[in-house]
Amino acid sequence: MLVIKQLLTQLPKNIILTGEENTRPFECDGLSVYRQKPLAVVLPENIVQIKQVLKICKANNTPVVTRGAGTGLAGGAMPLENSVVLGLSKLNQVKSIDVENRLAVVEPGVRNIAISEAVAQYGLYYAPDPSSQIACTIGGNVAENSGGVHCLKYGLTVHNVKAIKMLTIDGDELILSRQDDGLGLLALMNGSEGLLGIITEITVKLTPTPALARVVMAGFDSVRDCANAVADIVKAGVIPAGLEMMDSFAIEAAEGFAQVGYPLDAKALLLCELDGTHAQVQVELNQVLKILSNASTLKVSNNEQERLDLWQGRKSAFPAVGRLSPDYYCMDGTIPRRHLADMLEKINALSQKYQLRVANVFHAGDGNLHPLILYDANKTSELEKVEEFGTEILRLSVDMGGTITGEHGVGVEKLNAMCHQFNAKELAIFHKIKAVFDPKSLLNPGKAVPELHRCAELGSMHVHHGKLPHPELERF
Amino acid sequence: MSNRINQLQQLVKDSDGLHINSELLDYSGVVEYYPEELVMTAKAGTTISEIQTELAKHNQALPFFVKTLNMSIGSVYAQGAQDLSDCVLGVQIIDGTGELLNFGGQVMKNVAGYDVARLLVGSKGKLAIITQISFKVMPQTYIGKIDKPSFSIIDKPSFSIRQKIERRLKQVFDPKGVFN
Repeated sequence: MLVIKQLLTQLPKNIILTGEENTRPFECDGLSVYRQKPLAVVLPENIVQIKQVLKICKANNTPVVTRGAGTGLAGGAMPLENSVVLGLSKLNQVKSIDVENRLAVVEPGVRNIAISEAVAQYGLYYAPDPSSQIACTIGGNVAENSGGVHCLKYGLTVHNVKAIKMLTIDGDELILSRQDDGLGLLALMNGSEGLLGIITEITVKLTPTPALARVVMAGFDSVRDCANAVADIVKAGVIPAGLEMMDSFAIEAAEGFAQVGYPLDAKALLLCELDGTHAQVQVELNQVLKILSNASTLKVSNNEQERLDLWQGRKSAFPAVGRLSPDYYCMDGTIPRRHLADMLEKINALSQKYQLRVANVFHAGDGNLHPLILYDANKTSELEKVEEFGTEILRLSVDMGGTITGEHGVGVEKLNAMCHQFNAKELAIFHKIKAVFDPKSLLNPGKAVPELHRCAELGSMHVHHGKLPHPELERF
Repeated sequence: MSNRINQLQQLVKDSDGLHINSELLDYSGVVEYYPEELVMTAKAGTTISEIQTELAKHNQALPFFVKTLNMSIGSVYAQGAQDLSDCVLGVQIIDGTGELLNFGGQVMKNVAGYDVARLLVGSKGKLAIITQISFKVMPQTYIGKIDKPSFSIIDKPSFSIRQKIERRLKQVFDPKGVFN
């Protein structure tokens, strides 16, 4: 093929992978149920090479799929048919650290945790911590606007990125900063899933490591009491560094895996982390303990080891669930916190309806739900059943005033669900925004925003903020 | 749907040129506020002082810089600043063809679709009428010193590409060039 030939002649051969065998490792990202082999994978070592790849692909009308570490959970980095994968993992240098202004300038392939490791000696860290942080890259984090456990207090990726350098499909360099006068282009790039440009450099905000962090574990006899406690903590004016909730099945799975002393008789478990100066933590701890006085089990970490142990169960919840079932499907809807208990009850009812078990792990502090639906991919049509179940959860999320994806992105996975959250006119605006940056639609085309005919074929009923169109009509 | 929104949509459809401000908008009031969610939704003409009064009842406040209390939340949004952008969660707008559109929402974590709610921060009334805004608020005790936002000079090669992109984005939202 001409495009491969041009790549091989105009770039060093050792950065190009072609053929069935070599491209197979890149055929999917963290959502492994969708797979597609690309024409070629290019792993550039500098910006000049990226520009060359873009030039060749543009001339050949070949789609480009940018990839970081491939840990995404929505298929955003899954190759497209006849596409070239642009893997940025070799651009992994921390270019500079500005301790005084708490900034670091990094290349897109730097791993999330590597930033914190590089600045730890200055008492600083990079706050957003997606669970894949040991592997995922900062470029991918910007493309997905990744979250994590500590977003409630420290924000998402978009809040922690000061500036980026990016390349347009034409190879033009654009520098976007928080201080720019004009439209919010930097915010637009965050979460744009590789559809608008190639991010080549990121300036991140660094956060001082808190003097102290303590975690409170509270077990509850009812899910509703636990959900109410979440609302009460925030209402009382406390912003925990992390506020996580698990249901009984998730508690059982996590405890079976990590053995950290979670109460197996509890219907719901809350982990609430408080951080700051010793004085701040003490004040907040007193407030939180008062609110949690109706909990059936209560434990506060007394040292760093105990704190890490209490988190260990939560952090191993996914692999723990993975041990109980051949496969599981992770959802990512977000809802207003006040609906947490209702949502859990509805998910449990759906679990009965579909006869599929669900373990619920929530970033309760920001209403971000990660129900894990257990299934067996080898059973005929079970994946279809799971997807139907998942779609029902996402519809409920939108109907409750929330969203289909809090931090994982749309990718290829949630294209249908997008039809439920946005109407045709809003989706048309998204397509036009893409065309501003990428008129020939060569950057990760077909991802993140569904084609209008796809939604029409689904016959999806569009609902906004819990209001059905034509409420006067009867529905069955 | 409120009458005023219908009137504004009609106004845009019938007009060749509109200058958006709070008087033209004539649309104000807090729509929804749950202190435990740390989120408020207000019509764009709502004044900052009205918002602050409501928030103060629950020991909460706006975590971004505002010049004067009699400004509307819509004009603070339209003028734009990074600390305000950080708090924006969703917007309802009327585009240059008179369509009523919603982007973002009322939850902190939301990555469905491009972040139009933050893209339009600083759009100075040139792309769309902002009718309603949802934004994050904070307990008073968590709000430190708020600095007046500063803007930096954009380097030259970037500036010309940026101008081109901003012109095209104006076309996306206001193809007839109604807003001036």
